[in-house]
Amino acid sequence: MLERRVLVTNRLGLHARAAARLVRAASAYQSTIKLARVDGSVAADAKSILSVLVLAAARGTELVLTVAGVDEDAAMAAVCELFERKLGEERD
Amino acid sequence: MSKRVKSERAEQFWRGVTVSEGLALGRVLRLHGGATQNVYRATLEKSEIECEVQRFKAAVELARKQLLGIKERAELALGAEHAYIFDAHLLMLEDRKLLDEVELYIRRERANADWAVRVAADRLLAVYAEIKDDYLRERSSDIEDVTRRLLDALGGAPHERRLTRDAVIVAEELMPSAAAELDFSHVRAVATDAGGWTSHTAIIARGLGIPAVVGLRELYRHARTGDEIIVDAIRGEVILHPAGRTAARCREELAGMRPAQRGALQVAGKHEPLRTLDGVEIILRANVELPAEYEGVRRYGARGVGLYRTEFLLAQRGRMPTEDEQCAAYAEVSALAGTDGAKVRLFDLGGEKIGADEANVERNPALGLRAIRYCLRREDVLRTQVRAILRAAASGRLELVLPMISDIAEVRRARRIIEEERAGLRRAGHEAGDVQIGAMIEVPAAVLMADKLARTVDFFSLGTNDLVQYLLAVDRGNDDVADWFRTLHPAVLQSIKRTLDAAEGAGIPVNVCGEMAATPAYAVILLGLGARDLSMTSASIPRVRRTLAGVDAARARVIADECLACETADEAEELVRVRLGTEWAGLFPPGSLPAPKPRP
Repeated sequence: MLERRVLVTNRLGLHARAAARLVRAASAYQSTIKLARVDGSVAADAKSILSVLVLAAARGTELVLTVAGVDEDAAMAAVCELFERKLGEERD
Repeated sequence: MSKRVKSERAEQFWRGVTVSEGLALGRVLRLHGGATQNVYRATLEKSEIECEVQRFKAAVELARKQLLGIKERAELALGAEHAYIFDAHLLMLEDRKLLDEVELYIRRERANADWAVRVAADRLLAVYAEIKDDYLRERSSDIEDVTRRLLDALGGAPHERRLTRDAVIVAEELMPSAAAELDFSHVRAVATDAGGWTSHTAIIARGLGIPAVVGLRELYRHARTGDEIIVDAIRGEVILHPAGRTAARCREELAGMRPAQRGALQVAGKHEPLRTLDGVEIILRANVELPAEYEGVRRYGARGVGLYRTEFLLAQRGRMPTEDEQCAAYAEVSALAGTDGAKVRLFDLGGEKIGADEANVERNPALGLRAIRYCLRREDVLRTQVRAILRAAASGRLELVLPMISDIAEVRRARRIIEEERAGLRRAGHEAGDVQIGAMIEVPAAVLMADKLARTVDFFSLGTNDLVQYLLAVDRGNDDVADWFRTLHPAVLQSIKRTLDAAEGAGIPVNVCGEMAATPAYAVILLGLGARDLSMTSASIPRVRRTLAGVDAARARVIADECLACETADEAEELVRVRLGTEWAGLFPPGSLPAPKPRP
């Protein structure tokens, strides 16, 4: 199992469009992918949009990302990269 | 004493905000987005459970197919920026969290699928109601949208909404999915409780010339499908259950109106040349941005496209479109415009549209790195766009507009790049069409240099919105200074006149493409100043056509000359109100002229 912290940096936070991108990305992997608030108050299945939206992660929210499964390295890299790219929200 | 008869059918009146002008009398078709559909609880026999789960799965599949279709259509009509929401809807519909919960509820509670869906959705909505972030909390409306689609699918409700020819859509708020799937060619009018100028519905309604009034509190709750209704999107009113007399008056008004004023489908004589009473020919073209507006170009008989705003191509994809993608889009617009041609404006992009890095957000984007400045800075972007335009021009008539020119050097640089790309295309064996090159006149410096500028380009496009903003130093988007945005300010009129005269002196045409041309009273003043070629949102064409066909260019010129001599914007507005109102009273009903000034 891998664990890392990620930061929500795009302006609107983890809203519908950003969440949709995250779920599409996560669903491409077999591993279980979870996101949780740092205080442990809410945890979400990154492959469920309804669950991800409940995180209510506004800009600046730090989340704990855990990935476990056969393709965990690739899944971790892909999800982290998406967060680094501001969830694909801000264009260059 | 007569007894007051309590009647459900008493006339009811609402006042709202017009987002698309016109008048319609029709019958209400309520669209979901309002009061919750009634869902009933049934207890199943054990033997029925498996069957019910299958029914639920079939409904999910049906709803999924509908959403895929809607997403595709929305992408085509509105662009990926607006269609993304349907991807989120699809994911919600495929979400195991929801599917498993519904299935479990059906099995454990022996409940019918409809009830199970409602319960599961309500539980989710309750969670969302707790979210503190306003924006994210609003996403609950998406869950509700998906839930209703699912319930519709379960109810076997016919998905293709069969619209009678006189359907008036009444909704609390036209949800994106509902708006995207409507066949707007059968809709007579739209009336909603919520909504505003920029909602998708408003954009589509304006593009298609369908009368629409929004902000009608509780209309949805009172209206029933099949009720007679008047949507008066001229006065911003809606009358439900109009009394016989009221309906008759409306029919009379409709009969006396040109179809265009009704926002209706056919416009008589739309392809004949437009001439003023004294025989001056005027050309009316369409301003176009969204593909949803293309239909209006044909419908209202526009003489080609006077301004094609290419920024949408970027917004649609969320990235710079490739040369081939652009070429295809320009070819489509050129086919739409036919022999009259289309004027393609280079990307009018500024910091706010290209998502500039937050660190270097411009303090004053209107005066920043935008339009031609951006194009010249990002030569790769400019060259790609130029190649796409030249290639598309090989098979149709296209012209190229340089936005926000303030110095002739910009025209020269752009021309050199265009010629280089033309030569490059030919070397590579591509066909490159002949393209006339025009300058957008919207910066005061360009007005002052208009006589020299006119000798470096093939035509002018006069953008009145930005010209007013830059000339009067008024931010178009700032409500606090809205009172300073005065289209009839003598300085504006003098600038227009100077530009038109300079073009005439050099023998080049001028197309006036700001929204000023779409306002009948202003169009008459433009005519008087010497404008002969106007372009506007296509839905405004019939109205302006009717006005200009009923006036006399020589008399308009006298009035325009008087306006030019005014000392203040107030004075010019008052003059227009009084002179147009007396010369052509029939053409200018109250409300279509500047408001009278309070006497000091």
